[in-house]
Amino acid sequence: MTGSFWRFTLLIALKDLRIEGRSREILYTMGFSAALVVLVFSFALASASDPAQGPILAAGVLWSSTLFTGTVALARVLDRERENESIRSLLLSPAPRAAIYAGKVIATSLLMLAVEILLTVLVGVLFSTGVFTHLVWLAVILLLGTLGFAATGVVFSAALLRSRSREALLGALLFPIVIPVLLAASRATACLFDPLSPDLDPVSFWTRFLLATDVIYISLGLWVFEPVVSGD
Amino acid sequence: MKMVVLAYGFIWLAVFTYVFIVGRKLGRLGGELSELRRRIDKIRPS
Amino acid sequence: MPTQPPSSRSLRFSILSAITFLLFVIACNAIADAPREITMGLVQKIFYFHVPCAWLLMLSTLVCAGGSIAYLFGGSERGDRIALSSAELGVLFGLCVLVSGPLWARAAWGVYWQWEARLTSSLLLWLMMVAYVLARRYGGPSARRLAAALALFAAIDIPLVYFSVRYFRSIHPQTTVVSTLVPGMRGAFWLSLLAFTVLWWLLISVRVAVEDRAAEIIDLEVLLDQAEEKKA
Repeated sequence: MTGSFWRFTLLIALKDLRIEGRSREILYTMGFSAALVVLVFSFALASASDPAQGPILAAGVLWSSTLFTGTVALARVLDRERENESIRSLLLSPAPRAAIYAGKVIATSLLMLAVEILLTVLVGVLFSTGVFTHLVWLAVILLLGTLGFAATGVVFSAALLRSRSREALLGALLFPIVIPVLLAASRATACLFDPLSPDLDPVSFWTRFLLATDVIYISLGLWVFEPVVSGD
Repeated sequence: MKMVVLAYGFIWLAVFTYVFIVGRKLGRLGGELSELRRRIDKIRPS
Repeated sequence: MPTQPPSSRSLRFSILSAITFLLFVIACNAIADAPREITMGLVQKIFYFHVPCAWLLMLSTLVCAGGSIAYLFGGSERGDRIALSSAELGVLFGLCVLVSGPLWARAAWGVYWQWEARLTSSLLLWLMMVAYVLARRYGGPSARRLAAALALFAAIDIPLVYFSVRYFRSIHPQTTVVSTLVPGMRGAFWLSLLAFTVLWWLLISVRVAVEDRAAEIIDLEVLLDQAEEKKA
């Protein structure tokens, strides 16, 4: 990856983030709807209020909500391009397609991470679980899980730019594919949240799995993004 | 055993249904194709 | 692209159909003759059809990915048609796996679903093939490229899904669908596998032929319009 690649990647990511930062619309709406999703889950699962289940429920709800609101972030990050056809100008620019992809992935991930921090606090409170006991591990898992989701999602969201059924289809296409990420992340997080777990071996296992998965997804995304987005 | 019959039965049914649908479409398209060829030959007998 | 003359194609299909039929007759005979498994009895015989269907689901996914690569990076229309046909077969045989599997499980363990590693992996793979077909149909202008990207991610997900589900399940007792094969069963199993694979080959040939014809019809219609214009 040459220096200009990273320069373009950063440019694109920062452009998107600056736009979001200015209006904060997406951050507020995403954050609010994510929190609501967590609440919905909490109410639905209220009967299973066995305290021993706390960590597992917290982890599961955290990652499920993340996935759902992640699709909103994906739609938004690519939406700007759809609105004023700026994807065309983006594609005509000297920026290598791979940099566009990487930039979008980074922007999406950062948006999602911001909301995830809020969600983590929320599930900690609602399920009476200590969530910040292993802060570094938690940060790593949140990052890797989010990256995996974004790496796949950007490809599909970009491909669906001109589709009418985009909202309906994005989740339907994306979720089966990112199940391994969901599994790994929620298992690792559940172990992290659990004060009774003997050691963190599962965490390190699933973290390595997530790392491998991310490498695979990002590589594939980089390879596939250009042919998917170019043409007609 | 009921389960065995159900399992095998479903598989046969599914496969034959698919074969039937696809085969029918193949026949229909074949008909359209010949029709089109005929019309072209009428206009341009080359 | 010129298609084969109808007569030679019909001949090919007839021969292939005959071979398929013959193979199935032989295989079913072998299955009926195969020794009964000690613990599960007659029910175990479901697996002679169940496992080949699972194999075909995986084969379909891989072929779909192959066709998608040819289409995305080589512009191959044929690759695209093969990918579509393969995905449909994936949906078909995946459905067979997902019906026969739970029926077997019900008889063997009393519950329809056990999150068993192979069955769960098949479920996810099947969902991805369904997603492919949906993407093709409702994906808008870039439907084919969207679906192709999906196929690639699906293929790469095969090992990821399998391993994540398997280790996810290591909390629960490991239950496997496929018991060890007694020598008397092996012959029947391989025959069944062969019969199903030939069936798959036949089905995909017919399905691709349908797409070939549809494409040719479009070409001819264009030709017809031009010819009629010239005449007028």
